[in-house]
Amino acid sequence: MSSVWLIIPVVLPILGGALLSLLRLPDKKRNLFLEILVLVNSAIAIACICNRPTEELILFQLTGNLDFALRLDGLGSVFACLVAILWPLATLYAFEYMRHEERTTSFFVFYTMTYGVTMGIALAENLVTMYLFYELLTLVSVYLVMHPMTKKAIRASRTYLYYSIGGAAFAFISLIFIIVLGNTTDFTYGGVLNLVKIGGNTQIMLFVYLMAFWGFGVKAAVFPFQGWLPKASVAPTPVTALLHAVAVVKSGAFAVMRLTYYCFGADFIRGTWAHFLVMSIAMISIIYGSTMAVKETHFKRRLAFSTISNLSYILLGVTMMSPLGLLAGLSHLVFHAIMKIGSFFSAGAVLHQSHKEYVDELDGIAYRMPVVFTAFTVCGLSLIGIPGFAGFISKWNIAAAAMEAGRDIPYAYAAVGVLLYSALMTAVYILTAAVRAWFPDQGSDADALKGVQDPNWEMKLPLILFMVTVIVLGLGSEPLMEILRTVAEGSF
Amino acid sequence: MTVAYLLGAAILLPILAGFLLLFTQGKWKNRTVKCLFLFLVFVITTIFSVKLMLVGDYQFPLWKLTDTLEVLVRMDHLTRLFLGMTVAAWTLGGVFAFEYMKHEQKEDRYFGFYLIVLGVLIALDHAGNLVTLYLFFELMTLTSLPLVLHNLSHEAVMAGLKYLFYSVAGAFAALFGIFYLYSHGAGSMFAEGGYLADISYTGSQGMTLLVLFLMILGFGTKAGMFPMHGWLPTAHPVAPAPASAVLSGIITKSGVLAIIRVVFYTAGADYLRGTWVQYAWMTLTLITVFMGSMMAYKEQVLKKRLAYSTVSQVSYILFGLSLLNVSGIVGALSHFVFHSVVKNCLFLCAGAVIYKTGKTMVKDLKGIGKEMPITMWCFTLVSVTLVGIPPTSGFVSKWYLATGSLETGMTGYAWAGPIILLLSAMLTAGYLLPVSILAFFPGHQYDYEQVQKREPNLLMLVPMGLFTIAAVVFGIFPGTFMNYLQKIAMTVL
Amino acid sequence: MSFVQNFPCFSIVLCMVAGILSTPMKGKQAKNLTLVVVTLVALMSIATLGYVIGTGESYTYMMGRFPAPWGNEIRVGILEALTATVFALVMLFSLLGGMDHVFKDINESKINLYFILVDLLLSSLLAIIYTNDLFTGYVFVEINTIAACGMIMIRESGRSLIAATRYMVMSLIGSGLFLISLAMLYDITGHLLMEDAHEAMIRLTQSGQYEIPLLVIISLLTVGLAIKSGLYPFHSWMPDAYGYSTISSSSILSSLVSKSYIILLIKIFYRVIGFDTIITSKIVNVLFVFGLIGMIMGSVSAIMAKDIYKMIAYSSVAQIGYVYMGIGLATEAGMAAAIFHILTHAITKSLLFLSAKGLNDASGRKRVYPALQGAAFRNPLAGAAFAVGSLSMVGIPMLAGFISKILFATSALGSDPKKVLPTLIVLSVSTILNAVYFLHTVVRIYTPVGEPGEFKGVRIHMAVGAAAALFCLIALNFVLGLYSQPITDLIQQGIQMFA
Repeated sequence: MSSVWLIIPVVLPILGGALLSLLRLPDKKRNLFLEILVLVNSAIAIACICNRPTEELILFQLTGNLDFALRLDGLGSVFACLVAILWPLATLYAFEYMRHEERTTSFFVFYTMTYGVTMGIALAENLVTMYLFYELLTLVSVYLVMHPMTKKAIRASRTYLYYSIGGAAFAFISLIFIIVLGNTTDFTYGGVLNLVKIGGNTQIMLFVYLMAFWGFGVKAAVFPFQGWLPKASVAPTPVTALLHAVAVVKSGAFAVMRLTYYCFGADFIRGTWAHFLVMSIAMISIIYGSTMAVKETHFKRRLAFSTISNLSYILLGVTMMSPLGLLAGLSHLVFHAIMKIGSFFSAGAVLHQSHKEYVDELDGIAYRMPVVFTAFTVCGLSLIGIPGFAGFISKWNIAAAAMEAGRDIPYAYAAVGVLLYSALMTAVYILTAAVRAWFPDQGSDADALKGVQDPNWEMKLPLILFMVTVIVLGLGSEPLMEILRTVAEGSF
Repeated sequence: MTVAYLLGAAILLPILAGFLLLFTQGKWKNRTVKCLFLFLVFVITTIFSVKLMLVGDYQFPLWKLTDTLEVLVRMDHLTRLFLGMTVAAWTLGGVFAFEYMKHEQKEDRYFGFYLIVLGVLIALDHAGNLVTLYLFFELMTLTSLPLVLHNLSHEAVMAGLKYLFYSVAGAFAALFGIFYLYSHGAGSMFAEGGYLADISYTGSQGMTLLVLFLMILGFGTKAGMFPMHGWLPTAHPVAPAPASAVLSGIITKSGVLAIIRVVFYTAGADYLRGTWVQYAWMTLTLITVFMGSMMAYKEQVLKKRLAYSTVSQVSYILFGLSLLNVSGIVGALSHFVFHSVVKNCLFLCAGAVIYKTGKTMVKDLKGIGKEMPITMWCFTLVSVTLVGIPPTSGFVSKWYLATGSLETGMTGYAWAGPIILLLSAMLTAGYLLPVSILAFFPGHQYDYEQVQKREPNLLMLVPMGLFTIAAVVFGIFPGTFMNYLQKIAMTVL
Repeated sequence: MSFVQNFPCFSIVLCMVAGILSTPMKGKQAKNLTLVVVTLVALMSIATLGYVIGTGESYTYMMGRFPAPWGNEIRVGILEALTATVFALVMLFSLLGGMDHVFKDINESKINLYFILVDLLLSSLLAIIYTNDLFTGYVFVEINTIAACGMIMIRESGRSLIAATRYMVMSLIGSGLFLISLAMLYDITGHLLMEDAHEAMIRLTQSGQYEIPLLVIISLLTVGLAIKSGLYPFHSWMPDAYGYSTISSSSILSSLVSKSYIILLIKIFYRVIGFDTIITSKIVNVLFVFGLIGMIMGSVSAIMAKDIYKMIAYSSVAQIGYVYMGIGLATEAGMAAAIFHILTHAITKSLLFLSAKGLNDASGRKRVYPALQGAAFRNPLAGAAFAVGSLSMVGIPMLAGFISKILFATSALGSDPKKVLPTLIVLSVSTILNAVYFLHTVVRIYTPVGEPGEFKGVRIHMAVGAAAALFCLIALNFVLGLYSQPITDLIQQGIQMFA
């Protein structure tokens, strides 16, 4: 395919969203329009991935060697494909979820635009372009957080905004260093740093890397910049699910991958103090996230904390600074997206159908909403890392990467310990909810859930698909792993 | 390939039947039909399993998760031993439950999960490498959870969660070891005698010993080994009696199976012999043996007393394994079989008493032997077996354990082992026999006028009876069986 | 000599003549005349720019053909022409955007006076930009001050009078210092024309004479102009002056007036004293440090400000800090970045002031934040404009602010290694602070008014001129953001022409 096609998945949703705000369609027609738009966009994206255009597409020449350009490489394909598959399903879910909300059209305008921007991050050819879409992502998604327009939501959206812009501001520093001290700003597997130009400034470069790790990591909610994520769970569930489990936060993780493997180069960082530090950051985030999730009783916030820890799983894989580590990060990127979106959708379905927000209100709800809770249980078990579900495979990969790294850097063994600690905590926070739902205490109030039932097909279909995917990938993921492995080795 | 299909059928049949039951909860109009259906499933599963046991040794990958992770199944003597015990106990426990579960609610859910766990256990017994073992171990934990918290009282739910979290924590400790072994070139499949001494294994010795210890500790959680035993006395008693029976009798033993697979089929006895791991492991088992029986001695609720007894008895088995010699292994394996039989029977008896009289405390059992003589006779006979009075089976296994201990020649431990076993045996007598004595000799204040026959029906009596007969027969004619175990022990060392 | 070469001189004279002509006119007529003049100036500046780019070299132009030291010279290079173009355009847009307020805020009898001041201001701005003669520079600096002062106080409210007085005092201190330094310079070099003074300066530095007087000259000069342009900590006059005058004045003052002094400073650095001498004098390091502090302190004050105009005014303090930081980097790239930022800031700040005015009008002119809630729905164009301006200030790619940020940061990497990390970190922190106050406001204006008790405001329609002005400024922002390469090239060529 010609590389001109690459522009479509980025621009189509943005234009479509803008068009939608002008059209003012009635709800039914709007939904149809959106679903078709999103499906077409996904189809084009996937077609692009299947017949990958090799050359780049330059959009704008900024200054000198800086340009906004798109290109599709292996890593980008994985992320783009993930987004392209999940978005139509999430949109479908959102139709039903948002039915009783106000200002739905403006919600969908931004929701759809976010699709394009996320695609932009996946397809960005160089750091500047990625930075552009990264900032745009903040801006288009901030409305989605404040959509309920309550005081709490607005405050949350501001927090999100400051954190994200602040993170980008620090990532910006690395952008400058790469522009000045790199051979090129285009992403190249193995890094672009010009060691001659760097000369004796290795320490400064490592410092810069650290700041950029934190900077881009803000979106991936690394410690100590995780504060915005649980707050942002006030947003409508399709947002928390898709954006705060997939698009936004994964963009952060994806950016860190780009930064580490495609800009600085894993070899440059391996074994330095910065390497130790980023590994520690990931570990602390994991411990923090999973422990806080146990403490939290609000259902969606609990999942948000879980996201914090799981995102750092990805980063932990990435910080192993090896192809195996990147593979681990990538596989968790994909699998976590599916299982977390599944669990968030379940939580959202509960909220939507029964207005129950807290875990201790879930007694016996599984019998009222069997489909939803089967999906939740399956996704939850996968999050814990029970073999037979997808999560186990990615955790296995992370542990294998850590073990391999541990031969040279014994510190990496600690990562495995952290992983297992977090798995235990995951078991606690997931299963307490699941057990409550399936096996209510005898003393619990059965009338509290009167009239609650499974939602309609628009919400159930995505849930069922996610559940099936989690199981299928858990049982046989070799074909996928094959692809991810070639990507992680930089040969795709 | 027919073996594969047969195996698949043996695993899937109970699981699918279980799911069928779960999905049709409360829709079975006729209870007899349901019980017949269940019985049929048990019998067919048993037939399949027996057929599998007779096929001869085999090993093949059943499924690939990824290129490096495969589900491998394996049939060897150890599989046969555990598989046979599992299906037997499960069938008898199931039959007992046909009657017992009448007085519990939601029995469909119980039977559903009961069947699913059976399928998982059959798979677990077949596990041919560490990943497969871990996979089914976790699934067993999860699927057996509903059995524990079945009656949904607050206590039961809490106990269930405790069970869950201990088990998961243990499994994760073991998983750490699996990660380590796999990434250093080990773990592809089990082999008699282990293979960590091979050149292809690249892990450092210090780290390897550490992870092996973690694996023993982790899998030992299921077997109630100190310091991870806390869940067992809480979780087993709250379950319905037939569930407590299989939990104590079979599921705790899957921890034993896992440890055998790790120690003798992965690491190799030679790798561990004389290291700190062996000492630490042995110390822990001895602490557990003693502590378990002390706690049982102090406990007044019958089912809890039996649960503590399980803590202590399962560690007999682990102690035998930790000796790392033939006599120890033979003792351990035989005690595995005997204890399974005995503990199943004891819990069923306790269940029968609860079912008929609702009495749970030991002191309430005064004169119960007059009301339910057959039940209490079974109880008494297997108690004697467990205490280890010759010529019962318990004596045989303990004899081997003591011999094995002396054979090791480890300073201190060689003697400490038998002494603690002896002490524990006396405590066992102290906590089990008074029950029988109270039951049959209520003393002169007992009002014989009020005695009413409350013997349960055949559905309950037959399983108890069969277990009792098995326990006694094993004791009187241990020869062939012990030779068989000897053969296993020789191959794995 | 090409006819176009006369344009700079024409435009200065034209403005002055327009000022004189406006005296007897009515407000409306004066307005029309001024708009025509400003447009003409813009067109002539563009023509000049085209001419200079075409020839590729600067030229000097003797007014009245008297040679130095009797005559007045102006010098036209790419940089001068470019600045003049942008200034004239921004002036035009500012007037258009704030026109309705000019007629509301100012007593009807004084409206023509306002436009006279505007004309004078523009002529002085152009003269400051083009001058090749130090003393002429000084004269127009003073004219500039007086005109600006008049524009502040013409509103005749109590606070604007106080603000004007403050501005006057600070400005006069600044010009006083500047004058002293000029006098000393004349004393030791004997010249007021830039070229001649420069030659004398080279001789002095080579012979090593007058080292200390030279240092004093540089310091006084820099401090004087820094005070006038409002570098932290001499910024105290700014918030009131920008916050309480009529909006066109605020916009022109913040975007143009303070920047013209910086242009003059840069010009003197290069064309009189010599850039190497400046670097060895270490004065740039002082500017660097105060620039950095200004970037942070300005933003902090902006966060604490309670009223939207003051917030924008304080933001100017921070932006001036950026510019001085760029100069302080003491490299040609840093200087180019500073100049680029002057342009960026000119178009962005006027955009912000004008759109803030639009929002404020839609919120009952209450100025305080709570009233502004949902203002963007009541005045969509102003809302969008404010959002664009804010995002540009925060440095979102595709907008002008991002390019300045990139230029500053890349030039920092080429400067003294000790300055690299401070620059970058302060740049990042200041970005975050900018985000805090600008985006907070953006979020607020886009938050619909929901609860019954909340202030609703009125939906307003903007005048065509104002809308067009906002539209053009937004477009300019995108142009600078997306096609900055030609402009940065021009700036670079312009700086080379200085040397």
